[in-house]
Amino acid sequence: MSAFKIFRDLFSHNGEFAIGLVLLLVVLAVAACSFFSPYPPMDVYVVPPDVPPSWEHPLGTTSRGQDVFWQLTFAIRNTLLFGIVVAILSRIISLFVGLISGYKGGWVDRVLMSINDTFVVIPLFPILVLFYFIMRDQMSWALLAVITALLGWAYDARLIRSIAMSLRTREFTRQAVFSGMSTGKIVLQEHLPFVLPIVFSTTMNNINWSIGIEVTLSVLGFTDINTPTIGGMIYWANQHAALVSGIWWWVTFPVALVIMLFIGLFLLAISMNEYIDPRSRLSRLGGQA
Amino acid sequence: MITELRSIPLSPEMRAPQTAPLLEVDRLKAYYKTQMFGVDREVRAVDDISLKVNRNEIYGLAGESSSGKSSLIKTIAGAIRPPLRVVEGSVRFNFKDGERDIYKLSPQELSAIRWSHLSYIMQGSMSVLNPVRRIKHAFVDFALPHVNAKGADFTSLVERHLKRVHLDPAVLQAYPHELSGGMRQRVTIALATVCGPEFIIADEPTTALDVIVQKGVLLMLREIQQELRSSVLFVTHDMAVHANLTDRLGIMYAGRLVEEGRTRDLFKRPLHPYTAHLISSLPRIGDEAPKKGLEGSPPSLANPPPGCRFHPRCPLAIDICRLEAPPMMEILPGHRAACHVAQADPTRVETVG
Amino acid sequence: MRAYLTYLSKRLVQFAVVVFVGINITYLVTHMTPIDPVEQSISAATSFGSTSPEAIEMMRQSLRQLYGLEGSPWEQYVSFWKRILVGDFGPSLSAFPTPVSQLILRALPWTVGLLLVSTLLTWFLGNLLGGLAGYYRNSRVLRAFGVISMALKPIPYYVVALVLLIIFGFLWPVLPISGGATMASDRSNTFAFALDVAVHSILPVLSLMAVGIGGWFMGMRSLVSNVVTEDYVIYAELAGVKRNKILGSYVMRNALGPQVTGLALQLGAIFNGAIITEYVFGYPGVGSLLISAVHAGDYSLVLGITTISIVAVSATVLLIDLLYPLIDPRVEAR
Repeated sequence: MSAFKIFRDLFSHNGEFAIGLVLLLVVLAVAACSFFSPYPPMDVYVVPPDVPPSWEHPLGTTSRGQDVFWQLTFAIRNTLLFGIVVAILSRIISLFVGLISGYKGGWVDRVLMSINDTFVVIPLFPILVLFYFIMRDQMSWALLAVITALLGWAYDARLIRSIAMSLRTREFTRQAVFSGMSTGKIVLQEHLPFVLPIVFSTTMNNINWSIGIEVTLSVLGFTDINTPTIGGMIYWANQHAALVSGIWWWVTFPVALVIMLFIGLFLLAISMNEYIDPRSRLSRLGGQA
Repeated sequence: MITELRSIPLSPEMRAPQTAPLLEVDRLKAYYKTQMFGVDREVRAVDDISLKVNRNEIYGLAGESSSGKSSLIKTIAGAIRPPLRVVEGSVRFNFKDGERDIYKLSPQELSAIRWSHLSYIMQGSMSVLNPVRRIKHAFVDFALPHVNAKGADFTSLVERHLKRVHLDPAVLQAYPHELSGGMRQRVTIALATVCGPEFIIADEPTTALDVIVQKGVLLMLREIQQELRSSVLFVTHDMAVHANLTDRLGIMYAGRLVEEGRTRDLFKRPLHPYTAHLISSLPRIGDEAPKKGLEGSPPSLANPPPGCRFHPRCPLAIDICRLEAPPMMEILPGHRAACHVAQADPTRVETVG
Repeated sequence: MRAYLTYLSKRLVQFAVVVFVGINITYLVTHMTPIDPVEQSISAATSFGSTSPEAIEMMRQSLRQLYGLEGSPWEQYVSFWKRILVGDFGPSLSAFPTPVSQLILRALPWTVGLLLVSTLLTWFLGNLLGGLAGYYRNSRVLRAFGVISMALKPIPYYVVALVLLIIFGFLWPVLPISGGATMASDRSNTFAFALDVAVHSILPVLSLMAVGIGGWFMGMRSLVSNVVTEDYVIYAELAGVKRNKILGSYVMRNALGPQVTGLALQLGAIFNGAIITEYVFGYPGVGSLLISAVHAGDYSLVLGITTISIVAVSATVLLIDLLYPLIDPRVEAR
């Protein structure tokens, strides 16, 4: 089945997928608007401050003299990009660990999974805070993405491992081993295609998770607060006591948009999970073999 | 082959047909009805089956997998769930304290006769016991509501029963995973018989066990049945087990009963070509002739062939078999079969196999 | 018994690995940086008040040891571990000379209490409702609950806490939105004090529950819908065992195991959530302490909280693991 047909089927038959996709498209559209912004994102006092939503400023303006809507377009773009970068980096690690661990088994598996479980169990947030504390002003958007990815791969590596393990005992793997293929080749050529579906759906969840981390850290001011992100906007709103002084639009719109993003990605993840459930997929494979 | 089981002598009543059978299944039809993408599908798993099971007898039910035998016993036990539904017919029990029509009882009444009058030994001895609780809890949950004993009285009742079936009462303290497969099946049989039920449905209770263990379990079942003087509906696809255990035997093919009679008669003189095939496929000591497999596969119950459902695979099929379904008729005394050929000439079938 | 001992030793080894790797991560993080955090911290900590030169020297000493800047790399590493093993993180810089351990001990009961109450409530309610939803698939109320809790699940703790803060702090101000107890409360009246603490904990607990409950609900629902097709459940139904009994002792009881394992795996994430929630509601626990320590530049306190969180969370995971055989006697199966 072509990717397009799967997509169309999902959209017309799976309500969760349709809602998720629409939410995500709205968020993406807002992010795309950033390219047409009349104001540079870092500049302050470009518009009159504290204007409630109006025709001229549909989502109002901040106490720092920024238009909330245009600021939001940059913020959601950066936040989304952060999530995607973390997801890609951590996918690479979890694929590597999961496939090797599942394919090799034995002591390699035991050692890798022991480390893996450690990353699942330890509370990552204090470590991120400690990291910020050491780096302080050197903390940048990219550095945070790398660190978050380094800490956030473990849960999915276990999932990938369990699938790789079931593939290991299959006929085609044994055949590949006998024909003298190297481990790396077997894993990449024979096993990777089977784990990609699950990688897809965990990507959505991982984007959600990393955006959650980013929002939380920047709300606390524990990141590079000058790059506009959703968390950064809430941080500045808190700094100006926006809620207390009634500038509700400064907080409400970023929160609403990011909630849309979270729910959209989550719905996509669960509907895709249902569609490409690894168990049913594997049993289908079993039927053919 | 399990031959020693026959060492238990048959009681006279068992040979003599009873006037009032314990179970009467009358023209029973139970179909799986599903609706998918707006299309109604109907799978006729139990199609017009009538049979009687007498008191104090072991009635065997044989057939390939997907012949509908599981659906039939589920329907008899009143344990069906949608999409399986009873379309027509009735299932009546003549218990000592009165007659019950399973599909006219309220859920409460049905619960009340379970275990005390009608109990069930399920397929899959490995997994029918709750894996996270000790065996004793199963006895409490299943049997306590049906007996007039509580607390220590109940425990001693259960322990007496276990001793009677040669089980150490210590198994009550065990978890299922601590017992072997055969042991677990024995416990399940003890669990199913602790209330002294009149009718026991046994669904392939020995299929997953190895032959030696199987023999012990069958012997145990036979002993309990004789002691309780209850009736057993015993289901397995294993003809060897039927030959050694059951008093009467029914053969199912594609949702229908095709032959029924005393087990001995059936083995000696099968009237349906399908039965003849099943018997001829049994291994016999000294028989060196190669076994012939039956060509083709059992028909789909969603779209069965017209006429006799066996005709596409039947070596004796004649024109009428393709057009008309044969009715179940008594051909020899106490021996019924649904076959046009056998109804015309009972000796023809012996040429099969 | 043998099986349990094997299981026990495996869990203990895993606990040691978690603590070892976790502490090493903190060591790496603190040593990767080109900045000299000792001087940075000292200048940040002493810029506000007048601290005696001797005290500053003591701080510097303790910090250099904590950072492991004394001696050869190996000696640095060993002295770092020595400090951590005895739980001595030196004096706090922001609340000099109170030892870090004392500050943490003061804050810990609040966090433990908050986490204990919210986690147990969330886990219990989520599993109960999820189990009911899996068993009674046609209940509209439970389906609606599923949709709502599912919608809340992906939203980070901070955002949920913030929304609750907006609702109960500004739109409908009926609950205290800040602190662990009323400042001037009379602690001699135990009952009134307990009530005060309970009322103050409603919003933090509620926000932790709102985020957490969906995961347990959905997990239990799908587990239950698998368990109901197991032979032992069908057999119990055939035997006419009462529905409540089947739901409790057969269905839920068997679905519980994976959910207990899940709790152990989620603990770290739950702890992260508690830190944020404490900060939003000004709850006087470890989370608030951590964040104020960062703002005050209190290095030893930040390091102390990080390491103690790692040890505490993994010890709790170990405890859950050790109790697991009570839920599922087949320990080898894990």
